[in-house]
Amino acid sequence: MYDLIILGAGPAGLTAALFAARYRLKTVVIGKEIGGQANYASVVENYPGIKSISGADLIKIMKSQVTSLGVKIIEENITNVTKVKEKQIFSVITEKNSYQAKAIIFALGTERKKLNLPEEEKFLGKGISYCATCDAPLFRNKSVAVVGGSDSAVMSAMLLSKYAKKVYIIYRGKELRAEPIKVEQLKKTRNIEIIYNAEVQKISGKNFVEKILLTNKKTLEAQGIFVEIGSTPSTYLIQKLGLETDNQGYIITNNAMETNIPGLFAAGDCISKKLRQIINAAGEGATAAFSAYAYLKSKKNS
Amino acid sequence: MKVTVYSTPTCPWCVRLKEWLKQNKISFEDMDVSKNEKAAQKMVEKSGQMGVPVTEIDDKVVVGFDVTALKKLLKLK
Repeated sequence: MYDLIILGAGPAGLTAALFAARYRLKTVVIGKEIGGQANYASVVENYPGIKSISGADLIKIMKSQVTSLGVKIIEENITNVTKVKEKQIFSVITEKNSYQAKAIIFALGTERKKLNLPEEEKFLGKGISYCATCDAPLFRNKSVAVVGGSDSAVMSAMLLSKYAKKVYIIYRGKELRAEPIKVEQLKKTRNIEIIYNAEVQKISGKNFVEKILLTNKKTLEAQGIFVEIGSTPSTYLIQKLGLETDNQGYIITNNAMETNIPGLFAAGDCISKKLRQIINAAGEGATAAFSAYAYLKSKKNS
Repeated sequence: MKVTVYSTPTCPWCVRLKEWLKQNKISFEDMDVSKNEKAAQKMVEKSGQMGVPVTEIDDKVVVGFDVTALKKLLKLK
């Protein structure tokens, strides 16, 4: 039996683990991918203390900070989480095992949104990619398009511009919503062209992506499409637990990171909030760990 | 058994795949397709797709970090 199980091993989960270990809670972290979405950030330049670092390298440091305090990180897929009411404990079921704890921090982040086009599956890996950090070098001297207008979209476009001969950004809005400093850098990059007020209507090609038809009736010749149209929380476990959410499915917490379920705290990209960055995910993870610590202490004394 | 991994240094799943192979004591040749353009072309031809990682085991190809498929081809339990 653990004091605390942290679900998710991204910046929120890892920071929660760091604090929980310092509070000497018997803690374990369970997540399918250490780092989560942060792994896919090619550069992080807004995390104070470190001027510039890749998301994957930042996660490596966070991970070693956690494991050096003796907290185990278990890489398993979580299939169910239940609250055993009469005992006031939680049970976490993975594909392989089950784990019990007195408190839970839910930090399972979000899942990437897909374009939802019928031909998307066919071209997956054949031009369509969800990871510019991984696949950008394979598009040397080719033309590519990035769909989206967020920080991730702009970062992907900047990375791709180093390899591809031409990078289009296709964005449905009329102004990119990435940080202005990133947009400034982007606009200085010669081989990037931004197409506003447009979405992808159809992708075509024989075996690989060759053409992209846009909703504004324009056709782009491109061999690659990088999808960066945001993400949504994975609703399955949230609904199963009966966590209160906003209308987009994000978990509602108060400023102590408490949810509507006593003993269950939430942090990171999966909660209802305005800004989704590594820095505030980490901060929420710290707060959640502190609140779990206070909760366990009050239960012990009652 | 000849094992070749086609990868890029920045791809998280490539790193995990290579760590997994090392843990299972499988020796492999690592092709960095971000630098080696010929290897990149070869990877696309062999796997019929453009995403990394790709693992070539003798003449069979596994796309992504697919543990089940890798275990089967590497005859691991």
